[in-house]
Amino acid sequence: MTLRDLALIAIGNLWRMKLRALLTISGVLIAITAFVAMLSFGVGNQQNVEREFNKLGLLTTMQVYPRNKPSDSSTSPKLDRLALDRLAQVPGVNLVYPFDAFSVVVTLHDTSISSKAQALPSAAVKTKLYSHLVAGTSFDSTSLHVAIVSEELLKQAGIVSPDSIIGRRIVLSVKVSTIDSALAHLLADRGETMVGRVKRVRIDSLFHRNYRTRVLRAEVSAALRRFLNGFLNAQQVISDTLTVCGVRQAGRVGRAHAEQIIIPVATAARFNSVGVGGSPTELFAAMSNGTLFEDPGDPSGRTFSQATIDFDPKVLYKTVRDSVEAMGFRTFSFAAQFEEIQRFFLYFDVGLAVVGLIALLTASLGIVNTMVMSITERRREIGVLKSLGAYERDIRALFLVESGVIGLLGTLAGIFVGWGISRIVSAVAQAYMRREGIPEMDVFATPAWLVLTALAVGLGVSLLAGYYPAARASRVDPVEALRNDS
Amino acid sequence: MPPDPYLQTTGLCRHYRRGPTVVKALDGVTMAVGRGEYLGIVGSSGSGKTTLLNLLAGLDTPTSGSVSLGDVPLTAMSRRELAAYRARCVGMVFQSFNLIAHATALQNVEMALLFNGTPPRERRRRATAILERLGLADRMTHHPADLSGGEQQRVAVARAIVKKPEILFADEPTGNLDFENALEIASLLATLNKEGLAIVLVTHNLEMAQQYTQRTIRMQYGVILQTGLPGNAGAPHP
Repeated sequence: MTLRDLALIAIGNLWRMKLRALLTISGVLIAITAFVAMLSFGVGNQQNVEREFNKLGLLTTMQVYPRNKPSDSSTSPKLDRLALDRLAQVPGVNLVYPFDAFSVVVTLHDTSISSKAQALPSAAVKTKLYSHLVAGTSFDSTSLHVAIVSEELLKQAGIVSPDSIIGRRIVLSVKVSTIDSALAHLLADRGETMVGRVKRVRIDSLFHRNYRTRVLRAEVSAALRRFLNGFLNAQQVISDTLTVCGVRQAGRVGRAHAEQIIIPVATAARFNSVGVGGSPTELFAAMSNGTLFEDPGDPSGRTFSQATIDFDPKVLYKTVRDSVEAMGFRTFSFAAQFEEIQRFFLYFDVGLAVVGLIALLTASLGIVNTMVMSITERRREIGVLKSLGAYERDIRALFLVESGVIGLLGTLAGIFVGWGISRIVSAVAQAYMRREGIPEMDVFATPAWLVLTALAVGLGVSLLAGYYPAARASRVDPVEALRNDS
Repeated sequence: MPPDPYLQTTGLCRHYRRGPTVVKALDGVTMAVGRGEYLGIVGSSGSGKTTLLNLLAGLDTPTSGSVSLGDVPLTAMSRRELAAYRARCVGMVFQSFNLIAHATALQNVEMALLFNGTPPRERRRRATAILERLGLADRMTHHPADLSGGEQQRVAVARAIVKKPEILFADEPTGNLDFENALEIASLLATLNKEGLAIVLVTHNLEMAQQYTQRTIRMQYGVILQTGLPGNAGAPHP
């Protein structure tokens, strides 16, 4: 008996009991519809996340940090120029650049806005992370007086059209604190000189210990105040006029931090060459790094809180991560985060699939019921087939194919209906996103593997459900079956 | 015993347990069917005729004793081999026709060729030819419910012989038929036998057995009472 024979007999038998078969097929259809629609939702969301990661090139980007609490300074190197050069030597690394940001005041039209600028090499600006411009172009290695601004900055300045700002000039001003002015204020501050302060000390009382201690404390406290006053208030202002060459998309992803203004490294060097940035944060950062008293004009002495590595997509992120961590740095990899997200989606999808499978198991009970009823009604037929030479395997195959046909029809219809429902819900969701101004995305996806999985699961469960009745049918005693009806 | 036995049994027993009671449907039957022989098995209801037929056809398994196909004991065959034996060598005709109700006459006959590897086109050709031969050319697309008893039994005979078996087991083939149709079926079986087909006819109609068969076995209570030629069916069993 060929598969064609089995299929024709099975379809003929199902056709004879149309209503029963239709109801059983409907059960499978509903279950597969739920299975496909729910998994399409999970897969759609997963693909959206994956698309975003790929769009920003995050899977080939790694953040590098110096260790927070070095237990042994010899194994916790600073993230300085030398370290960046060493990181660039790691196999698979295309580009390494530090996170070099500082406070600025940007004057745009007649508006002054406190913001932050970030220095980036031209190669970094061309990576996926920064290359999503809504207007203009990025800068190249020869560019100097140019800047890429973000949509947020334009929003703050009240500029609606990103194109209108391209080619316009902006003025960046940076207040720089210097140790020189701090030391000068240590000697003289607010008209008070060293001589004046010495004159206030009563020489004869210096023999008293308590007086000596009080005077010393007062002088140290005053000296610290004068130093800070000199450092923070007597600042030098450095300004530069730049041309806006591009406008970057708003938003940030995870730790791929980008400031509102991006300028070439060479341009940023002029702002940094005099001293530490004027904000207390930058001062304390310099103190923490031990670079407060270093020559700001010497870039080799600078250390950074963070650096970004752009590596070859063909290289496993774990290889790069291991090499970097072996050098004594901490890392943050979007690829690792992506793995976590994928793991989450796997659990999410499995959860949804289990719900669909429960529905399918319920439908499979319908198949078992239908087939058992069919066997009871067709005992005589089974006996006749056995008397004609049907082997147990033939009888089993006959009933298995019948349950398989039920499963196949229900599964095919379920896949189609599930896909249809996902399209309808997706269209409604997209209309809502459009109305709310949310970037549109398709929250459902029905890839080929999902269709094949649904087909395999639907058919597999139906065949499993049909196996018990089929085995029962194959065991029908022909003598009994024929005697009952004779 | 026939000189060239096709099937033979030795001490064949088939006992059933019905609660505490053991029913001896067959109890030590030794007999043989020769090649091309027309053997009648007669006896009253419950004498073990159908049980013997089922054992000879490989549908049932004996409690003890053996059935041999030439030198090969059926009792030693696997279930698959027994199915193959039924599919290739055996044709069966039943009292109640046992046609598949939802299949046409042609499909019923074709069904007999499903399990012996006959290709679909050949199945159709052979089934059509045999139905035409039995005068059912205009009834091929009819379902059993649309056929008379005689026509149904002719379809059943067509189904039994379409595979060109070596032996045909007919279990009360005229039991549900009127006189004319019974005569027609009996003549048909006789013709088939003349063409070389071995037939084992189970009937309670001694007259029919004497008229058509070459040899008759008379059974009672699961044992062979007498065996002999139709004219002297009353000869004692050795």
